[in-house]
Amino acid sequence: MANFQNPADLKQAVSAHISSHGEPAIDLARAALSHPETGYKEFKTAEATAAAIRALGLEVREGIAITGMTATLQGGFPGPNVAIIAELDALPVPGHPNADPDTTAAHACAHHCQLGNLLAAAIGLSAPGVLESLSGSVTLMVVPAEEYVEIEWRNEQRVAGRIEFLGGKPEFVRLGELDDVDICMMTHVTTEDPYDGFGVGGTNTGLVAKFIEFKGVKSHAGGAPHLGINALNAAHLAIAGIHAQRETYRDDDTVRIHPIITRGGSVVNAVPDDVRMETFVRGASISAIKSANEKVDRALRAGALAVGATVDITTLPGYLPLAPDQRLTALHKANAESLVGSERVHEFGRRGGSTDMGDLTQMMPGIHPYVGGAVGRSNHAEDMVVDNYNLAVLDAGKAMAMTVVDLLAAGAVEATRVISEHRPAMTKDEYLKLQRAFLSERSYTE
Amino acid sequence: MSTVRDLNRIKIKAAVRRAIEASSAEIISLARDIYEHPEPGFTEERTARVVAAALSKAGVNPETGIAITGMKGIKSFSDDGPTVGVIGELDAVKAPGHPAADLKSGAAHACGHHAQLGALVGAAIGLGVPEVASSLTGRAAFIATPAEEFIDVGMRWGLHETEHLGFLSGKQEMIRLGAFDDVDMAMMIHTSSSKAQRRFIVGGTSNAHVVHYVKFIGKAAHAGGAPHQGVNALQAAMLALSAINTLRETFEAENQTRVHGIITNGGVATNAVPAEVVYEGRVRGRTMEAVDKVSARVVDCYRAGALAMGAELEMVSIPGYLPLDNNKGMARVFSENVATEFGEDSIMTQGDRVNAGGSTDMGDLSQVMPSLHPYVAAADGTGHGIDYIIADYRRAVVDSAISMALTVVDLLSDGAAEARGIIDSHTPSLTRKGYVESQFDRLQRINYKGE
Repeated sequence: MANFQNPADLKQAVSAHISSHGEPAIDLARAALSHPETGYKEFKTAEATAAAIRALGLEVREGIAITGMTATLQGGFPGPNVAIIAELDALPVPGHPNADPDTTAAHACAHHCQLGNLLAAAIGLSAPGVLESLSGSVTLMVVPAEEYVEIEWRNEQRVAGRIEFLGGKPEFVRLGELDDVDICMMTHVTTEDPYDGFGVGGTNTGLVAKFIEFKGVKSHAGGAPHLGINALNAAHLAIAGIHAQRETYRDDDTVRIHPIITRGGSVVNAVPDDVRMETFVRGASISAIKSANEKVDRALRAGALAVGATVDITTLPGYLPLAPDQRLTALHKANAESLVGSERVHEFGRRGGSTDMGDLTQMMPGIHPYVGGAVGRSNHAEDMVVDNYNLAVLDAGKAMAMTVVDLLAAGAVEATRVISEHRPAMTKDEYLKLQRAFLSERSYTE
Repeated sequence: MSTVRDLNRIKIKAAVRRAIEASSAEIISLARDIYEHPEPGFTEERTARVVAAALSKAGVNPETGIAITGMKGIKSFSDDGPTVGVIGELDAVKAPGHPAADLKSGAAHACGHHAQLGALVGAAIGLGVPEVASSLTGRAAFIATPAEEFIDVGMRWGLHETEHLGFLSGKQEMIRLGAFDDVDMAMMIHTSSSKAQRRFIVGGTSNAHVVHYVKFIGKAAHAGGAPHQGVNALQAAMLALSAINTLRETFEAENQTRVHGIITNGGVATNAVPAEVVYEGRVRGRTMEAVDKVSARVVDCYRAGALAMGAELEMVSIPGYLPLDNNKGMARVFSENVATEFGEDSIMTQGDRVNAGGSTDMGDLSQVMPSLHPYVAAADGTGHGIDYIIADYRRAVVDSAISMALTVVDLLSDGAAEARGIIDSHTPSLTRKGYVESQFDRLQRINYKGE
């Protein structure tokens, strides 16, 4: 049996090394903030991230799912593979102070800090003597397109065969990038309390995404409205129907349906004949999502039926609910508490948002904790900005690197326990089958 | 026309006028009595009793109980010759809050039908004078029709389902029952609150319509405890009405489309998800084709409401009224009498296409025989509103009775030459049998499951 170093000493070394050598991690985050890009288009961001990882002396495999990449930190002994994940993409938030003036993309969900805390964790684990004592490996996994936006454009990429799934992690799963990963983790920034600490253990909803086209008949809106069929009215009624259904959703199911109209007509004086909507149907369980999705389809069809229009509904596989592993959560929580104090680490509850990290937690032990350091109304708001990079990047990176040490030190006894106690909800094959079954493209007149 | 015959007709008309004038207190008080006891369609039992008694007193023993509360009494002047129908409508509309509304049913004579009944009896009195009997050829039929207001659809549909009624309005049903088979032409006068400075208004048309009796069927569940177990029929109805409103921009102005309705059952308890909602609706338009076109779209809106909520739809589209076609010949005879009696400035003639937007089952009658449906400007307020009252009973009842009776005299004088001429030159759009068949064809049951 190898003579392993004491995990507490290793964690001390990791943390100290991030404190003293972590500057490039904050630089990477700030660089990403300055050139926000939406999913599957994060080319500049990917370039900067790959360069920063290479600067640690690591090999980077690029171009996975268009802009994604991986790199490996190999421990001194064989053992499980732990993935530390970061998301490359921004989302359109017009009015955000750091928004791209052309695309309106902005890091109003602070994924740029994830790139920083991934790099910080990698810096920490690269501290002298650390990797040699670990049994297993760490995959740095940088994924595109966590924000499920620009659905129409991404669906075109899907139809053209460039991607199959509109989210980066499902696409990574499909490509086999998770096949040799045993445990995964990432840390997301939030504007929620505690501002100066961590939030751990919360769940998220899953979702399916929908792209909807109402097709009517164009006609002069003043001169001959009787010859037209108003697709905007169809959409209006569909949304009214969605609202009328809300009382049928159970509180526990956390159903969220919140469409946007991406095309609402071309000119005021023509009856709108082409109206497009995008929406998510979110829910806390797969059955809740399926049931709500059927109701939404009825409302959409009713809108078309009422005005005599056609509705083309494309339902796209989205994300699965987040189910964080409890043992892994406890390890991470203890590390977070050691960094910021236990009063600054909150247990989160049921949450309404969604993430494709949920998909991974259905197949393997994973965590998706939150870190503060940001201010604003909420994530995705135009006033959401990170003002504590030490916390969001360095401390978040420390907590992850320390958790990796907990898992892989001492012959990876902790990782082995986490893996053996975890009951995955599904295999990769079952996952892909489930997601593919959500895909449907249908046209209705009623 | 010889001078002798001219003089004779003037004498006859003077006698008719005198008889009606002499009865004016009586017929106005009959109208006022009916005003005080309003009854909605097919339940006009008291109204029918007092009208039948007054007609009998005028020498016309009506056959009663036709189409539940309707009646017809014949005054024969000769063994053969045409029959002119004089009509009064028995029913009240519902206008809760009207000063004379029945507190229980909400029925009120906010459409002035009570004045028609006074005029009907007045015309019978006028045409009952001995001078008339010896001079006219043919017959006058005094007809009181039930249920012109197409309301209480649920109740009436129940009468249809139990085979007490074929059609759901009085004149429709009386045509079906053959009560108009021996009538060759028909007239009535409706009150109006038009501020036109003329006593009588003749001409114009009215809207056709269909009637929708619609049930949205959901599933009851505790609205607080288990709304996810319910299917909300009220939401289905609300969405259907919103959907109908989005159609409005597609209605063509020249069709004068009207779509409107009421919810007669909107749920039974606030804390239960409404499992059944009942809507009575109307689609009106200038032509039956225009009505049918819009009606099909409206039915899709009901289905859309049901589909969105996963509810069921059970509805029936009930044949409503046909557009009014005022007969030109009858209008001419009527207008001449009004002008002679009340002065040239007392008659206003509307263009054929003038259409206020309402509907009447006199329209149905006008599609099977020459018919006339003038207005007498004798009311104040808004038709069907709580402020609609007869402001001038003398005009509404007595002047109307005189105008109709004298028109009958002209139609049936000289061997009924005018009446025969009008009948001969009139081509009805439908036979009585064809009318009944085409209206039944219009009856449509629609069931739909939103899923």
